[in-house]
Amino acid sequence: MSTHEYDAVVVGGGVSGIIACLKLNSRGFKTALISRGDPACCLSTGCIDVFSRTDSPLDGIRGLPPEHPYSLVGRKGVADALSYFLTVMDEAGLPYEGSPRKNRRILTPIGNQKTTCLVPKTMADADVPGSEHLQVISFKGLKDFYPSYITSRFRNSAFSVYDAGVATTLGIAALFDRAAFVDSFIDWLKRLEIPHDRVAIPAVLGMNDPAGVLEKVSRAIGKKVFEIPTLPPSIPGLRLFRALKRVLQNRGAHLYWGKGVASVESQGKRIEAVTLATTGRSARVQGRAFILATGSFVSGGLFASRDCVRETVFGLPVFVPGERKDWFNTDFFSDGHAIERSGIRVDRTFRPEDCRFENLFVCGSILAGCEIMRNQCGHGLAVATGTAAAGRCAEELS
Amino acid sequence: MTTFEHCVRCTLCVENCPVFKVNPAFPGPKQSGPDAQRFRMDGERSVDDWVKLCCQCKRCQVSCPYGVNVAEIILKAQLKYSREHMSPFSAHLFANTYHLGQLGSLVSPLTNAVASSGVSKKIMGILGISTGVPLPEYRFFSLARGRRRRGRFRAPRKVVFFHGCYLGFNRPDIGRGIRDLLAGLGCRVIIPRQTCCGLPALGNGDITMAGKFARKNARMLVNYIDRGYIVVYACTSCGLTLTHDYPEILQVPEGKKIAENTYNVHELILDLIEEGAVQVDFGEVDRHVAYHVPCHLRALGIGYPAAGIFEKIPGLKVTILDDNCCGLAGSYGFKKKNQKTSESLGAIAASAVRAVDADSLVSDCGACRMQLGHYAGLPALDPSEVIIASLLQSVSKKKRDRRRKAQ
Repeated sequence: MSTHEYDAVVVGGGVSGIIACLKLNSRGFKTALISRGDPACCLSTGCIDVFSRTDSPLDGIRGLPPEHPYSLVGRKGVADALSYFLTVMDEAGLPYEGSPRKNRRILTPIGNQKTTCLVPKTMADADVPGSEHLQVISFKGLKDFYPSYITSRFRNSAFSVYDAGVATTLGIAALFDRAAFVDSFIDWLKRLEIPHDRVAIPAVLGMNDPAGVLEKVSRAIGKKVFEIPTLPPSIPGLRLFRALKRVLQNRGAHLYWGKGVASVESQGKRIEAVTLATTGRSARVQGRAFILATGSFVSGGLFASRDCVRETVFGLPVFVPGERKDWFNTDFFSDGHAIERSGIRVDRTFRPEDCRFENLFVCGSILAGCEIMRNQCGHGLAVATGTAAAGRCAEELS
Repeated sequence: MTTFEHCVRCTLCVENCPVFKVNPAFPGPKQSGPDAQRFRMDGERSVDDWVKLCCQCKRCQVSCPYGVNVAEIILKAQLKYSREHMSPFSAHLFANTYHLGQLGSLVSPLTNAVASSGVSKKIMGILGISTGVPLPEYRFFSLARGRRRRGRFRAPRKVVFFHGCYLGFNRPDIGRGIRDLLAGLGCRVIIPRQTCCGLPALGNGDITMAGKFARKNARMLVNYIDRGYIVVYACTSCGLTLTHDYPEILQVPEGKKIAENTYNVHELILDLIEEGAVQVDFGEVDRHVAYHVPCHLRALGIGYPAAGIFEKIPGLKVTILDDNCCGLAGSYGFKKKNQKTSESLGAIAASAVRAVDADSLVSDCGACRMQLGHYAGLPALDPSEVIIASLLQSVSKKKRDRRRKAQ
């Protein structure tokens, strides 16, 4: 069995895990990241929701209960983490915009508006005032994107359909990475002679340099242009994940992808190593400290059976609110569900409560009390708690 | 092991599928794998001819957070389809790359001349073989014809080198480099008589021939393992076949034992360094390389060991690129019907390589090097070539220093 030694080992390759790993790596620690598969962030809009129930996320956080992970990070911590995220994305060549002091709204494929905080540059102009005229562009055969959903909600709007020859978001995005295709698309747009103020295009403007493509299109037709995030397969989500991963691995962190943790080795109060379920022979990944960022139920960090909820890697105690019968709620979105509060409870140092391990830290949506659906705080919480847990972990290491 | 029933239809596999991205005829891994699997029955003849469009890069399987064996489901459907239908001539030809290699290297000047001539390109076109990327050249002085033992007999680490067909017949120079590199790091290296790992046969729907190759290799390898040797591979596709397909798909009885005793060559070198078994003095290499990670190295789940060694080489700048399949996928891209897919994917991966402004590209996989060397127009190196260059640099620097001291 091969053994690989690190200062810090992060388990979970989503936004919180990658941010935690990046933060530790930038402080000079030798880091590894283990992930069983790609994260749910690839399916998301790519926008960073921080707290969507109030106009200003930072003000809204103030009203959260003391056990909410945001309260543990603190408002300054959240703001610093988000500005760190913005610098990382600039480095990655996928610039983001926004401030945690003010939420913004973006257009969705069903024509309503979603409240979010930081957005990729390609969605910077997606907050369309009702007074403006909107032109929606779609692609022939594109699945789950019906421009009339949008135009029916805007008084002054119209749509046109471009035939790209392929009908999937991934296929069209691959075409937009070619300069020749972008040029022919622009020619077509020019011929349309759009009278409207803004132009909305589904988020397929390439994998490599969407902001560059957007700028080229926008300059050519002299209008504000923006992307509308689509249903999965979602290109902006995939771009976000790949950009974060690219920065991480090119800064020298080691990634173990596709195989999960098979077993955990501990001695007394410390976790010594985890064993990877590689093909054939297993490998030992040894660390001085560990960060758990495996996500909640959807990502497999938590697993619910009939009689209990388990944490799947270290077997940590899981907080579950009340009885099973209390979890039901007929309204899916507005109030959230009690089960959303379940997860791992941590103290101010992001170490799990009622747990013997001293060198383990937890971040991301596996934390108890996040209520991501209710607060709409998914990626923001991931960024904030990932940064905070990495900070505490760095203190432990030095 | 999770099966198609554990799929939650999240589409992460689809986001990772190279073929789905460029070929609208392929419905993607979710539909060809878990979705269609519910309708596939043993007694019924396969109608899903599009499963053959999958290039078996295994990216779907690596991305699946639920551990569903997507690529394996598709591979089994491909094998079932091939069993029930006549395979085209090109499939039979590519299933036999090993025999082609034996013949090709024996009469290598003739083979290379014929393969690159205009007339034979036309004939190949008729036979369904694409000539978009030049076919690899054969070398007469194949790896099997060179020195087959290296290193002290009593060396602490005994290694049997499974080089596979590409290093064996087409690039024996790289194979000999790895042999000498391992011997230099204190290993006893043996290059045994070996056949093809069986992957080309599997990929072309010939499970019987794959099984024959596998059993022959397994007997030979287990013989060495029982005598205290470990198996080392450099070609990541051979490695994946040995460690995954032998026990799982081909059901070779010795498969598990082989899987437990098989190492990637760079994994072994890293182990030797980290255990302190050898002191390695890496010399400066002033280069910027784009490291295109082969899909099958990702599928092995062992991380990127060559990148771990590159970190230790002073002066070497490495940009890791692991989001693209090169599109050649063994013999996949050499088939006429896949030519367009392969070209599009090659162009995408090559543009990622060119975007990082490197002076050369590095990849563990011979097929990736062939394809991307062609499309990116950069020298394509095996990681071992970079490592050897660094070690030679340090040796010559030491010599220079000694000479200077003597003066």
